[in-house]
Amino acid sequence: MSRRRRSRRSWWWRYLLAALMIGFAALPVLWVVSASLNPAKTLVGATLIPKNPGFGNYDDLINHPSFPFMTWMFNSVKIAVIAVSLTVAITVLAGYALSRFHFAGKKHFMTGILILNVFPAVLSIIALFGLMQQIGDHIPWLGFNSHGGLIAVYVSFGMGINVLMVKAYVDALPRDLDESGLVDGATHGQVFRKIVFPMMRPIVVTVAVLQFFVVYGDFVIARVLLKSTDKLTVMVGLLLFQTLRFEQDWGIITAGAVIAALPVLILYIPVQNYVISGLTAGSVKE
Amino acid sequence: MLTRHEQVPTGLYVRSVIVVSAFGVGALWLMRRLLDDGLYLLSSAVAAVTIFLVLVYLRRRYSAMRWMAIGIGITVLFAVYPILYNLYIGFTNMGSGHLFTKEQAIERLEDEQYLPQDAPTFRWLGYRKDDSFALLLVSDDGAVQFATDDGSIETLELTDPEAEQPGDINGYRPMATSEVAPMLDELADVAFGEPPTTIRVQSLREAAATVPRYRFDRDADAMVDLTDGTIYQAVEGSFVDADGNALIPGFMTGVGVDNFKRFLTNQNLRGPLTRALVWNFVFAFASVALAFSVGLTVAMLFEDLPGRRWIRALLIVPYPIPVLVSVLIWRSMLNPDLGTIGQFLARVFGSSPQFFLDPTWTRIALIMVNIWLSYPYFYVISSGAMRSISTDMLDAAEVDGASPWQEFRFISLPQILMITMPLLIASFSFNFNNFNLIFIFNNGNPPMAGTVIPIGHTDILISFIYKLAFVSSSTSDYGLGAAISVLLFVVVGSVTYFQIRATKALEAR
Repeated sequence: MSRRRRSRRSWWWRYLLAALMIGFAALPVLWVVSASLNPAKTLVGATLIPKNPGFGNYDDLINHPSFPFMTWMFNSVKIAVIAVSLTVAITVLAGYALSRFHFAGKKHFMTGILILNVFPAVLSIIALFGLMQQIGDHIPWLGFNSHGGLIAVYVSFGMGINVLMVKAYVDALPRDLDESGLVDGATHGQVFRKIVFPMMRPIVVTVAVLQFFVVYGDFVIARVLLKSTDKLTVMVGLLLFQTLRFEQDWGIITAGAVIAALPVLILYIPVQNYVISGLTAGSVKE
Repeated sequence: MLTRHEQVPTGLYVRSVIVVSAFGVGALWLMRRLLDDGLYLLSSAVAAVTIFLVLVYLRRRYSAMRWMAIGIGITVLFAVYPILYNLYIGFTNMGSGHLFTKEQAIERLEDEQYLPQDAPTFRWLGYRKDDSFALLLVSDDGAVQFATDDGSIETLELTDPEAEQPGDINGYRPMATSEVAPMLDELADVAFGEPPTTIRVQSLREAAATVPRYRFDRDADAMVDLTDGTIYQAVEGSFVDADGNALIPGFMTGVGVDNFKRFLTNQNLRGPLTRALVWNFVFAFASVALAFSVGLTVAMLFEDLPGRRWIRALLIVPYPIPVLVSVLIWRSMLNPDLGTIGQFLARVFGSSPQFFLDPTWTRIALIMVNIWLSYPYFYVISSGAMRSISTDMLDAAEVDGASPWQEFRFISLPQILMITMPLLIASFSFNFNNFNLIFIFNNGNPPMAGTVIPIGHTDILISFIYKLAFVSSSTSDYGLGAAISVLLFVVVGSVTYFQIRATKALEAR
């Protein structure tokens, strides 16, 4: 907006405010990292810059006798990678079809997706729990206490919003190229693979990253659908850890929190501009 | 436009026919098993999805459905079906003791064994092959038998196997006592030998032949206790004898609108829930309004500062961190006795507010944490919106001598609000059901005093339902929980309906 009309003199107080805001944003992060490096196990007397910092808490966490933390990390990453890959594959195809094909009832179909999208999974958690028990009696890898069942639930509930995002993106891609491909005798499959899909990279990245956040960060569904300690995801594990031994092992819990946040940060930092423009695209309609 | 009667290439078609047929066979098998369990609703859902997939992939005409059918199938089974099933549960007595269908409950009761007074007992030694087990049994007269968990039993010619345990038998290897001891409970659930008379582990030393305790009499619709002949009639979800004693487990059965009636007419439920509903609206509205204000302010203040790229990167820090991690951190920082913020406030004001015990302070803390969690999102979307509003009007206003505040209040803000309104409404419905934050921060506590139900001062409806269903396994009332969630569906549905209408109205302008 009116960039050129502000004077340089008003900068200093805005930098001050920016510093304050950054403090607000970053304080919890600094604090948790500091606590995880603090060899004192409890919160009592903890200072922001710990005395004798070290990685002792991380050692204790990874070698914990009763909580297989690294197994939980592995489970979480495995589940998230599989669920996100499936979501991306399904939504990319569906988004293309919704954008480029016409079929009877398309409008109602879109409304259906929109409605489904607003019902939180927690609301049907009782039914999901029952469903998984019932399926698990016959297909154990897809039922209660299985990673397969959990992934299926994540994929189903991840469809709605992501399909709509992909469709909107494909709508905005020029149609001349794929139409000329079709005229030249290419099939829809070929047009999609050779022409449209290569142009969809930004939306694929956005959907993948946002969906990874959702799946990796979930603990509500995972907590109800998983039971065995060695099958838990890291979020459920952290929650369990926190409930069981809050003040005794504070250093270990914070170390766990730091490690648990790493995969999303590693994923997020290189692609943050994609994600930000993906979010902004929602607010700026041409 | 693009396609008219295009056909699927033959190679692809053959492949899809093979895959669909294999899938169809699997689905038929599953449906058969589900029907045996009495799960008619689930079985029909599987049938519907199967028929849909078969129809789509067996047609040679190329259609949009070919691209979407698998996704639709999964979604129907794992997202749409649960919603419908949830509605169904709302009309049943499902809960502790009533978790199974009638068929499943009968099967479980008929599985129950008892030890007749004169039953033969054995001393036993454990054997194992991967995940299957077997017992080497020695009866009082010294006869030796080998019974496996897949239904076979054979007599062995051995003398005094206890003095010298034999090695591998039929591929099973002997288990050491140290291996047996920790899994005694697991072994006690396994039936060895040929039914109906099966042999069960009773203790580390002893095993005994047991027989089924109950038999279901289909004509009388009753369970018969074979030990003493007592008849347990099936009534309202339980098998009950003449004195009113019920067998466990009972089974699921329809109870009509009882759950809804209980919820809507019960004073004990209605009072606390009304308060939860009010707080639910306040929480959602305050969170969105305040976080949006912070985000917008930040966007206005820093958008033209040199170095804003860095400022933005740092300000968005909270965005990618998993909510569970962030809230756990805040929880501990706000701990009045031990947390950094708690201690700081105690030093400045003498004492720290009770962020987890006092209802008002807990609510303030929740909203503050929610601002921290969500302002980066609003910052990003409002800076996007700011870039898309026109500068002409601002320039004109400046010429007319408007103050910067007036420019903001009457020109920028209305436009930004209009652009972001759909997202604000979406955020409202998200926060209306923001289970994660409420649950992790304080699990809805502090508890309300004097209520008969488990509900806290900061519980929102969705966290209350979760509590009702999962808080303690001894009192789980899934039926009531599901009924309330159906009502919540209606509330959420109306919010969404208005959201869609408002969005359309805005787009039409």
